[in-house]
Amino acid sequence: MTPNKILGASMNAVVINKVTKVFNPDKPNQVDALLDVDLTIAPGEFVSLIGPSGCGKSTLLRLIASLIGPTAGDVLVNGKSAAQARLDQDYGMAFQQAGLFDWRSVVKNIELPLELKGWDKAKRRARAHEMLALVKLPEFAGHMPWQLSGGMQQRVAIARALASHPPLLLMDEPFGALDEMTREHMQAELLQICAASNTTVVFVTHSIPEAAYLSDRVVVMSPRPGQITEIVDVDLGSDRDEGTREADAFYDSITAIREALRGIEHAEIRGGVDDR
Amino acid sequence: MIRRAARRTILFCLALLLVAGAWELYKLVGPEGGGSLFGTRMIPKTSDRAMPHIWDMVQRLGEPENRGGGDPIWVTVGGYAWYTFRLSLVGLVLGVAVGIGLAVLMARFKFAERGLLPWIIMSQTVPLIALAPQVVSWSGRISIFGWEWPRWASVCVLAAFLAFFPVAVGTLRGLKSAPAAALELMDSYAASWTKTLFKLRFPAAVPHIVPSLKLAATLSVVGVVVAEISTGIRGGIGRAVLSYQQASTGDPTKVYAAVLGAAALGLLLFGLVVLIDVLLMRNRPQEVSA
Repeated sequence: MTPNKILGASMNAVVINKVTKVFNPDKPNQVDALLDVDLTIAPGEFVSLIGPSGCGKSTLLRLIASLIGPTAGDVLVNGKSAAQARLDQDYGMAFQQAGLFDWRSVVKNIELPLELKGWDKAKRRARAHEMLALVKLPEFAGHMPWQLSGGMQQRVAIARALASHPPLLLMDEPFGALDEMTREHMQAELLQICAASNTTVVFVTHSIPEAAYLSDRVVVMSPRPGQITEIVDVDLGSDRDEGTREADAFYDSITAIREALRGIEHAEIRGGVDDR
Repeated sequence: MIRRAARRTILFCLALLLVAGAWELYKLVGPEGGGSLFGTRMIPKTSDRAMPHIWDMVQRLGEPENRGGGDPIWVTVGGYAWYTFRLSLVGLVLGVAVGIGLAVLMARFKFAERGLLPWIIMSQTVPLIALAPQVVSWSGRISIFGWEWPRWASVCVLAAFLAFFPVAVGTLRGLKSAPAAALELMDSYAASWTKTLFKLRFPAAVPHIVPSLKLAATLSVVGVVVAEISTGIRGGIGRAVLSYQQASTGDPTKVYAAVLGAAALGLLLFGLVVLIDVLLMRNRPQEVSA
């Protein structure tokens, strides 16, 4: 199932090996967030994580980002440990909230990760302008974040995440707060940007059409404890545009993902009945 | 911006006129010798000695300090106010430095917060007047690398003792106000605590620090004036209030010149902080758009 064409873990973008995550172990509020999760992501691949709330998809993303550590198992990013990958800035991250710093202009927000890496001013300014052009906001460099609309802020956040040209982009419902039109527009732009830079993306979402439109593979997860129940391959080719949204293959993928999610739902309901 | 400033200035002048009007109105209708309410002397006297006319106070500003002659009293009082202003400024800077330092320490180490915060709060229950003689007695006893501890430095320390408190509390709240998502972002950049402090926590704290600076500025002036009065240090407005008060039997309007001087220097320091406010907040979201 996994397109693991190249042998050797070091060539994979992300390798998740038997990862278990338990929050507050041995306490009354213990949560088994993830149980024995295995997932391998190839370079350049676009993988979405989808599932009902509480299925651990954000937890999985944070494990890849090494913002939290696994209870058991290990996570490799670019062939190194996730912690080392974070130190090396091998990934960029974007959240549901754009999370721009109010006191920094748009261009300075994009420069932030470069500043922390110690780039000199001229170099990072040039890169920030390059990124602004990429997200189609070149004339807003000097604006303050609160002067922009939600969609524009999110684009700046994506530019910030991509500023250091990381090979991996981790996104946690980045378009969740946007209206439908802006959302579709942003999805198309994200695909273009990632194709142009050959970036690997791990994308957490609630939306089935979003997952289908963006992904090469959709990882369907079930809650309590979080596990991967199915991985749906999406065969829409690499050139996706507005027409893709009306293609039969698109609807087939949506159906496949929906059925995989339904399976979880039914199992849950059955489980509930059996308990009684 | 300019229109708002103009409106505020007009409102300020209006408020001054209102206070002056209330003063004169009470003086007109209130009992000359004061009065009692519920058996206690509560109603102030309205005699010219207790409540001079506003115009007499203003007129007094133009006359010399002592009947003999010399500069008009507003120049003399201005000199005193300037002296006190400089001490207040040093006290404020000292207080702000200590306050921010403590806040950073408490934000960095949980045990520092648990250990220090109760003491910081308790420190403010110690009356300044009780503390003043102790701190003033440092002069002549302490010398740092040959620098003899002067009495004015004690006054600054007392002012800082009042001023540091709102800054410590406000800054601590501000440093903790950085959103969790922003902290996570800095984490994802593998940014050190110090880098997170300067790139995220401090800028995020500014809206909390600025109001605490305004409180600190006012407290610093209060601290210096009280310290001047309770230790009898010469040269400042506190001493002037004290000595003019003693002369009030023969010259009742004189003390108000000193009071005005104290108010003016308080406003000057407050204005300085407002300027810092405007500078720091100029690129922040405006209140109206929030």
